[in-house]
Amino acid sequence: MNVEITELTRRFGRNLAVAGVDLQAGPGVFGLLGPNGAGKTTLLRMMATVIPPTAGRLRLLGRDPGAYGPRREIRRRLGYLPQNLGYYPGFTVVEFVEYFALLKETPAARVPAAVATAIERVDLGGKARAKLRTLSGGMLRRVGIAQAIVNEPELLLLDEPTAGLDPEQRVQFRALLRDLGQRATVVVSTHLVEDVGAACSEVALMDQGKIVFQGTPAELTARGTEHGTGDAPLERGYTAVLAAARS
Amino acid sequence: MRDTDPGLPQGQQAPPDVDLGRVWTAVAAQVWRRRPGWLERTTGRLLRSPGLARALLTTPSLLLPWLIASIVVLAAGAAATLNSGQPVVALLAPAVAAAAIAYSYGPGVDPAWELSCSMAVSDRMVLLVRALAVFAVNAVLGLAASAALGGPARSGAAAAAGAAAAVTFGWLIPMTAVCAFALAVATLARSANAGAAAGVAAWLITVLSGRVASGHFAAAVTDTVLFLPYLAIGVTCAAVTLFATRIPRGSYR
Amino acid sequence: MDDDDLVARMAAGDDTALRELFGRHASWLAVRLRSMLPVADVEDVLQETFLAAWRGAGGYRPQGACGGWLWGIARRQAALLLRRRGPAEQAGTALPADLTARRDAPDPAETALARAELADAVAALGPDGSPEREVWRLMYEQDRPVAEVAELLGVPPGTVKSRAHRARRLLRAVLRDGTAAEGGAR
Repeated sequence: MNVEITELTRRFGRNLAVAGVDLQAGPGVFGLLGPNGAGKTTLLRMMATVIPPTAGRLRLLGRDPGAYGPRREIRRRLGYLPQNLGYYPGFTVVEFVEYFALLKETPAARVPAAVATAIERVDLGGKARAKLRTLSGGMLRRVGIAQAIVNEPELLLLDEPTAGLDPEQRVQFRALLRDLGQRATVVVSTHLVEDVGAACSEVALMDQGKIVFQGTPAELTARGTEHGTGDAPLERGYTAVLAAARS
Repeated sequence: MRDTDPGLPQGQQAPPDVDLGRVWTAVAAQVWRRRPGWLERTTGRLLRSPGLARALLTTPSLLLPWLIASIVVLAAGAAATLNSGQPVVALLAPAVAAAAIAYSYGPGVDPAWELSCSMAVSDRMVLLVRALAVFAVNAVLGLAASAALGGPARSGAAAAAGAAAAVTFGWLIPMTAVCAFALAVATLARSANAGAAAGVAAWLITVLSGRVASGHFAAAVTDTVLFLPYLAIGVTCAAVTLFATRIPRGSYR
Repeated sequence: MDDDDLVARMAAGDDTALRELFGRHASWLAVRLRSMLPVADVEDVLQETFLAAWRGAGGYRPQGACGGWLWGIARRQAALLLRRRGPAEQAGTALPADLTARRDAPDPAETALARAELADAVAALGPDGSPEREVWRLMYEQDRPVAEVAELLGVPPGTVKSRAHRARRLLRAVLRDGTAAEGGAR
């Protein structure tokens, strides 16, 4: 088990962003669905050790992120793509990916090969030495994915990774996810339901800080035969579960 | 997003057991790699962290354009001091340093700041190293500007020399206080601009009230009574900064 | 964009040109090397070849013979690799043992490579039994006079001479600039 979460809670002032979440995840691709404001980003940020929880128990990669030493060990093996990732416009793709490889304390001798591998995996080999300010939104998103995978993480957290990618790139991205999910735990937070169906082995649906569904995409689809609305089976399951949770 | 070699032309078939993708990655690794300069390598060995060294040397207020601007400002200050007899350099140096330190760290400065908070080289470590480096660099620049003035100021009696020394070096202590204040505001407000503005404004108020209280501008830097309050402010603001950048222990169970 | 332009851009520091060149040439280079070396060595030699091409792009004289230039670099890198390994390792490279064992040979690695390269080039003349291959085999490998070859093949001597001429021309093209390897035997 790479992720063990028990009754995790996060409060911002009076706002309860995450309200008692339980989650267990091993290797594989794990989808996190839900409407905006459901608490997906806050949950991901807690898993990325960016913010601490207010209450509850969190164990990542078998370690407790509350102490400095284990937290550092977790972060070396972690990959994180935030929802809004800013870029250093004057950096090239290589410089940007390399910077974060160094900050993740990748051994210096392995950095050049790791950077080249990550850049080729996101299909940016032809733009490796281009400055970030010359790249389109979709390419910048792929740069973000590249920095997240550069250290071959055991825990990969992606928040809305396919924003700005065209359909063909999304297909390639899902193939990359399946490949990464063979050894690592990949958690993908998205509000695009079809992203999840194709690549994820397990799905959780969040609403108002709680998990209202957890299971396989097929099980979510099955829920849609009740009063779900939507064009695709998975979408119908999604709306059905949300409706049931809110009633 | 693929693991095959780039652009295999139609009709060409590589031998099935040769991994051209791996070959290309090895070539690209060498062609694309960035070779750090001697300063970065040395800093990396000193700090025992190549990542920390890289973060330090990419500090916005340590980059060449910023340094040149600081030098120009202090040089202008030195010229003004020579012309007017007022210790302009001593009054300018803390303000310049406060602005520089506010621009060394944090969300106002680092567009990828949230990502930086998930890094093994912790953002607090980066903050510490950058703040110290910026402070040291600005102190050296200020000292250089003051030393350039040292010639004309030192001609005279020992008392005059003592007073000149106080003006020459006395601004270091207020500078510490102002820098700490600017940094605390920057981290609390999560904005480098706010920190710079607050630091410069606070210093301006200090200088002006010194003028009002004792009749000359240099009071803010020469009045030894102020040194203890300055240090107290410095320590308090440093503590505030540390608190603002904490990840509280004990919340994880 | 032809190969000469790519190399010119490489000399100017454009890494995307190197990437394109790799895409065009790495596979046939791999095929040729694979017939002489084991897999791991092929990958090492290919890597060193393109790195050397990147560093040496400034010295390339555009003549439309980019394939030959690359093959020349690959040969040198292969020879370097074999020389580093020493004579014992060369036995694993499908090269005649007598050649690799002889100490008085000028450069066993070079000679072995040249021999393998020649065999490869002869294969480019055509499949076993094709006219040029047969003429080559009889006239140059078995050293028979034209008249005898004509009688053995059942064709006029003039035909033998013209086939021999064509074979020599083909071999010259292959050995000089590797073009036949890309297009296959004619």
